[in-house]
Amino acid sequence: MSNETASAARTLTLRILRHNPQDPASEPRWARYELEEYEGMTLFIALNEIRERFEPSLQFDFVCRAGICGSCGMVVNGRPGLACRTLTSTLPSEITLAPLPAFKLIGDLSVDTGQWMRGMSERLETWIHEQAETDLHALEERMEPELAEQIYELDRCIECGCCIAACGTARMREDFVGAVGLNKLARFRLDPHNARTDADLYELIGDDDGVFGCMTLLGCHDVCPKELPLQTQIAFLRRKMVTVS
Amino acid sequence: MKIVYTDVLVIGGGLAGLRTAVGVKQRGFDTIVLSLVPAKRSHSAAAQGGMQASLGNSAMGSGDNEDVHFEDTVKGSDWGADQRVARMFTHVAPKAIRELAGWGVPWNRVKQGEREAVINAERVVITESAAAHGLITARDFGGTKKWRTCYTSDGTGHAMLFALGDQTVANAIPVMERMEAVALIHEGGRCYGAVVRSLVSGELTAFLARATTVATGGYGRIYRVSTNAVICEGTGTAIALETGVAELGNMEAVQFHPTAIVPAGILTTEGCRGDGGILRDVDGHRFMPDYEPEKRELASRDVVSRRMTEHMRKGRGVKSPYGDHLWLDISVLGKEHVHKNLREVTDICRYFLGIDPANDWIPVRPTQHYSMGGIRTDHRGESTTLKGLFACGEAACWDMHGFNRLGGNSVAETVVAGMIVSEFIADYCADSASDINVSTGLVREFVERERAQLDALVAGRGSESATAIRQRMEEIMIDQVGIFRTGNELDRAVTELEDLLRRSRNLAVRYPNPGANPELVAAYRLPKMLKLALCAALGARQRTESRGAHFREDFPQRNDRDWLNRSITTWPAPEASLPKLDYEAIAVTDMELPPGFRGYGTRNHIDHPDSPARHAEIEKILQAVDADDRHARQRALMPFDHLLPEKYRPRNQRLETSA
Amino acid sequence: MKKSLLPARLDLAQSITGLVLAVFMAFHLIFDSSILLGAGAFAFVSGALECELFFGEKIPLITTAVVIVIFAIFIAHAGLAMRKFPQNAAQYRTMRSHMKEMRHGDTSLWWLQIWTGFAMFFLASVHLYIMMTQPQTIGPAGSAYRIVFEWKWPLYLVLTIAVVLHAAVGLYRLALKWGWFEGQNPNRRRKTLKKAVWIVTVVYLTMSLAALGAFIHIGLTGQDHFGNAVEGIAR
Repeated sequence: MSNETASAARTLTLRILRHNPQDPASEPRWARYELEEYEGMTLFIALNEIRERFEPSLQFDFVCRAGICGSCGMVVNGRPGLACRTLTSTLPSEITLAPLPAFKLIGDLSVDTGQWMRGMSERLETWIHEQAETDLHALEERMEPELAEQIYELDRCIECGCCIAACGTARMREDFVGAVGLNKLARFRLDPHNARTDADLYELIGDDDGVFGCMTLLGCHDVCPKELPLQTQIAFLRRKMVTVS
Repeated sequence: MKIVYTDVLVIGGGLAGLRTAVGVKQRGFDTIVLSLVPAKRSHSAAAQGGMQASLGNSAMGSGDNEDVHFEDTVKGSDWGADQRVARMFTHVAPKAIRELAGWGVPWNRVKQGEREAVINAERVVITESAAAHGLITARDFGGTKKWRTCYTSDGTGHAMLFALGDQTVANAIPVMERMEAVALIHEGGRCYGAVVRSLVSGELTAFLARATTVATGGYGRIYRVSTNAVICEGTGTAIALETGVAELGNMEAVQFHPTAIVPAGILTTEGCRGDGGILRDVDGHRFMPDYEPEKRELASRDVVSRRMTEHMRKGRGVKSPYGDHLWLDISVLGKEHVHKNLREVTDICRYFLGIDPANDWIPVRPTQHYSMGGIRTDHRGESTTLKGLFACGEAACWDMHGFNRLGGNSVAETVVAGMIVSEFIADYCADSASDINVSTGLVREFVERERAQLDALVAGRGSESATAIRQRMEEIMIDQVGIFRTGNELDRAVTELEDLLRRSRNLAVRYPNPGANPELVAAYRLPKMLKLALCAALGARQRTESRGAHFREDFPQRNDRDWLNRSITTWPAPEASLPKLDYEAIAVTDMELPPGFRGYGTRNHIDHPDSPARHAEIEKILQAVDADDRHARQRALMPFDHLLPEKYRPRNQRLETSA
Repeated sequence: MKKSLLPARLDLAQSITGLVLAVFMAFHLIFDSSILLGAGAFAFVSGALECELFFGEKIPLITTAVVIVIFAIFIAHAGLAMRKFPQNAAQYRTMRSHMKEMRHGDTSLWWLQIWTGFAMFFLASVHLYIMMTQPQTIGPAGSAYRIVFEWKWPLYLVLTIAVVLHAAVGLYRLALKWGWFEGQNPNRRRKTLKKAVWIVTVVYLTMSLAALGAFIHIGLTGQDHFGNAVEGIAR
């Protein structure tokens, strides 16, 4: 709790992989910064302090700073995760930060997940393909309460990109659709408004860039900040896709 | 000079902006959305608890309809709202919910049979009807007569934003990310688009459009502690102000949310209290019933926030290194409910506080949360003074919230306003009056002016630190333009903010890169934020009454006689250091619901002289109308149907046909 | 254009061939390990598998036939699995650094599978070819001779370790890949499965390596570890 006495303050060493691709002279390099840790310090606070005190040009992305928006995915000590909600007290005193791989680097810790996700969304058409247009004035279509909860469970994805960065397949093959896209298809498949059949889905993910490319390394499942059941959803889709004929 | 043409330029990729873009696109117009961040990362995603719409499906919402929602909204606004707009809003909200359900938002549903709930810290059994099974359910929120807040667990904004983000892709609407509008291009009272800076390359582009829509959300970040995302710096509102033409409304109306965690300032949803959570003080005493015997924790946000602050001032707060706080106790709801229906809250507590809210109390205190003020528009969403400029969502003062917004009405406003305003924008674009014949000379002038300002900053001749000035501004705002305000403090605030604004014209940037440069961005945004801060502070200084979220300790009464109006600020000239303040009267004579007691808070106001007459008139009008036909009664008092786009006029079907 | 169903078939085939090979190996190693019960036990088992009880004598052609089938499945599995290997130096480097940074169990296990698979491609081929062409030599004496005097023990040592690891991890991955045994709590179930993998690995490795030791013992001493003489080992 906030009024507990803090343990002895540590000095944190942050090693940050810096590179500005906009600048032709820039080469990737590790930069080191030292900070006094204090209670409740998150990587959001630490990075802002570094920018404030030492390095005004340091680029990183935070928006909600509450673990909700998915902007601040980065590689923290080798593992992709959300920086804003990572308390420095959960890390050793030497912390390495690198941008998420597999995405286009904008600069330092900032990567372009937005365009990647848009491309994925266009490719998989990750939206409801409605059977009929909704009558806005009439009672809504009924849905079983448990089904709504089940859909929300998968709908919680924040497109932070951690699953892509943690995926061996996605790292090796850039056309691989990744867990984020597969989870979305599983989510829309559950939705009773959805008009797409499994055969339609096969056209999108029935190959080695799709669900069959997944080698079940489960990096995605294990780093997902929202703890989405990616393992079971991908397995489910795989079963559905091999039975399409 | 790069120029991009489109029909509708939408600045802001949150719920309001995306719904507007989808609306105009479906009407056949070209549109481009500009967003500081990937659209799905917008602050709309942080709305947790839900969206108000009077579906009346659940047992506790039974008997709900537009009339009840309207009354709650107007009372919540402390009669500051435009009642016609509030009517349009409450009428379209159920349609918005249903549209979103069709787009895949997995609204929680009614489950027939008995279920346990916590009301007023007691376990009660609610029986849901079989007829309602599978329809969209609702939870309780502050300041509402019925359980009206539709939700998807506590990730409502997220689910809505992702559904709309998906629709944006489905409609092939381009969203240009990391693009910031830094100035509006306008001439002769007509807006032609915006000068836009790429946050990646620093390049300036002119976007020209028939209609320009600002949907950039609130300006919470002018306060030191805010629940708002770090991008909520109000720059969209500020560039409208900087035209010198567009008006801002009610900038002093700033809402504080009762329950943000300490010290991070991250929101825990009102759903915590709606679902039965209670507030406790240093002794573990539940204090809200002492102040608000009827609504208790579920009075409107302005009232709860004030009561909490009042209680802490009495020394009943919990001391902490980060200042006093109180406790929010949701452990009374039981582990299953907390972990399932308040999952986001559970996550936030786990990651930022290291506690499990199913067992532990959450340290909370009131924190800046919402900007009722914004670009003043008519009911169509168009600026009252700058043609071709539209605004919707939190960035606008449309004005359905008046001086206090009800929980659950903000996400509702975003999509409802997007639905309505996009129709009017489309109508406008279809009219030849919206044709743009602007000279490239004018465009060049606007682009060059921005470029010159940026170059001057990068040249590094200034001496002031943007960070220091900004921190001071944030402190002034939270300390002197916060929950409790007094004339003296506001005087000092205005004077000092003025000084800060002058100093902000001489900023130093250490890192001379015109491209991606966080320091440069902070520097050019600062004067914009200071102008908004001045609008809020001056508005608060001049308003010598207390209304909704604006509370003057030296003028604790709501004064309808002198202050039943909207504060209107404009920026007279670029070199000015103070906004120009005017007032727009709110007429009692045609109100459907004339001013009275809200039903919570202090019963203490000065009547408007027209109020008794209007009350009598209403009584007379209603005598002549069938007492059972609520639609006819409403129409007789204050017709609004004709203000709505035709497609949204039909009535909303409900389970109970009498509703 | 409709998408080909081939990727689905190939993916399924990779899993099925893997499963068949793993199940085959589970029995194979148990049969081999009958040597731990003595030379007689092994002679009995190898005889029984070649239907000695039925025909009154061993029919080595049965072994040849089985090996041909297994060899075919083995080559198919290798071919299918190789599609997932890093295809070039860049992919290889990416995967390696990814694995090193992530320090993620299941990702590292896959790397282990690649290397054990790669090793088996050579080692198992040699083994299978010999079994296919010289089935009549299988027996306590013949096998011990091969292991000791034809210098097959290093091959079998590496092959045994590779095959046990590869098959155990492969079965685990197969279960996750297709969502078998997910149960009510798939996360907890996965931990259980992983534990099972390690138990199976340890049990099989212990048993198989002990069996290899027993053969070496026979080769060097001419008797099994119970002291029963094994005839027919001539240098």
